[in-house]
Amino acid sequence: MLLPKFEYHEPTTLEEALRLLSELGGNAKVLAGGTDVLVRMKQKIDKPSHVISIARVPGLDAITPRDRHGVTVGSGVTAADLARHELIRDRFTPLALAAGRLGAPMIRNRATIGGNLVNARPAADFPPACMVLNAILKLKSAHDEREVPVNGFFRGPGDALIEPHELLVSINFETPPPWSGGSYVKLGARKTLEISMVNVAALVTLESADGPITAARIALGAVAPTPVRAYAAEELLVGKQPSEELFQQAGETGVGMCSPITDHRGTMEYRCMMIEVLTKRALRLAVEQARAWRP
Amino acid sequence: MKRIITLTVNGEPVEGAVEPNRTLLSFLREDLGLTGAKHGCGLGDCGACTVILDGKPVNSCLVLAVQADGREVLTIEGLADNGKLHPIQEAFIETGAIQCGFCSPGMILSAKALLDESPKPTETEIRTAISGNLCRCTGYQKIVEAILAAAGTAQGKEVS
Repeated sequence: MLLPKFEYHEPTTLEEALRLLSELGGNAKVLAGGTDVLVRMKQKIDKPSHVISIARVPGLDAITPRDRHGVTVGSGVTAADLARHELIRDRFTPLALAAGRLGAPMIRNRATIGGNLVNARPAADFPPACMVLNAILKLKSAHDEREVPVNGFFRGPGDALIEPHELLVSINFETPPPWSGGSYVKLGARKTLEISMVNVAALVTLESADGPITAARIALGAVAPTPVRAYAAEELLVGKQPSEELFQQAGETGVGMCSPITDHRGTMEYRCMMIEVLTKRALRLAVEQARAWRP
Repeated sequence: MKRIITLTVNGEPVEGAVEPNRTLLSFLREDLGLTGAKHGCGLGDCGACTVILDGKPVNSCLVLAVQADGREVLTIEGLADNGKLHPIQEAFIETGAIQCGFCSPGMILSAKALLDESPKPTETEIRTAISGNLCRCTGYQKIVEAILAAAGTAQGKEVS
């Protein structure tokens, strides 16, 4: 399968990358891991006249802890690096789990968190995980820089709040409070190289190991034109003691917030049933992890 | 416009002039004559084009040749040591893990990357490591056995 012709740019500083983006903007595609961009170009869905590789821009592949308060993840960090990073697995569990379920090992060695977010596919693995962790995205352009919450970043399939002259440089996460636990559950026809039929990320904070839920966040993917937060289901959980019945109610409430479609991966009806089941499962796993929380 | 790239392939320095829209796979196969890596789906789904780039297995059909500039590539041709097959290759032959052979280079390189990182993997880890390599003969059982034999271990089952 052949790639269409394009002009190739390989900036070695962030400034140079941003200058190229501001000059070429709409005619250029940013190339990071290439696992989406090159596929779309081979399929002739995208035919950019310029490709700007950011692989040699220093610093974009760093995972930087900020004391105990949080972590900054460069947009060029690969899924493989996130999946095996100890701090990410321990404190930002949905992120590590989503990273470990993306594609297959070879894809994870190339695919980046930034690419997965910016592509804004409704079934992507990273968005729900970033949404329950309330991630803040840092977008830079040649003359400006702004921070955008990931909740609200996605506008539709393939459409996100980023301008052609902007580059997603990093993603900021605040460390969840003590007695927090998280999970990411994905359903597909097989376990690897799969695009989700439904995926669910959850983050639950308890008052103590056996205490009630003080905060909960649930994000659902592949169930609407963009991944969605199930706010009503989250509210229902707060102040209550975790139980199977409660998780079931949250799952049922979650279904009401989705508008899944029927496609070759599954029917609308099946997706609705699975939203309920997977939400329940994700909450159960998140609470288990929260109860095992260690300082 | 062609670009000059220099990289290390199977331990040897290599120079080439490539158009930016050429993949690493096509550079290896057509310019260097290293046809061990296969062109399967071309979209990163089948793993037939697997090579090891800077120590990590990647789909070479989704890497531009220009992106490999200055980097180190290992293909199946570089695995034998002075004509002596790598233990994983030996195990594939011994176990009968090779049928049509189309997936074998990718399978073996995925296995090598795994064993380099974790010399005594569980069966689960092996199945996960080769989960991006499709065998069209469906000879997975023998392939897993071969990798287990190469690692000299035997344990747990499902893909995680």
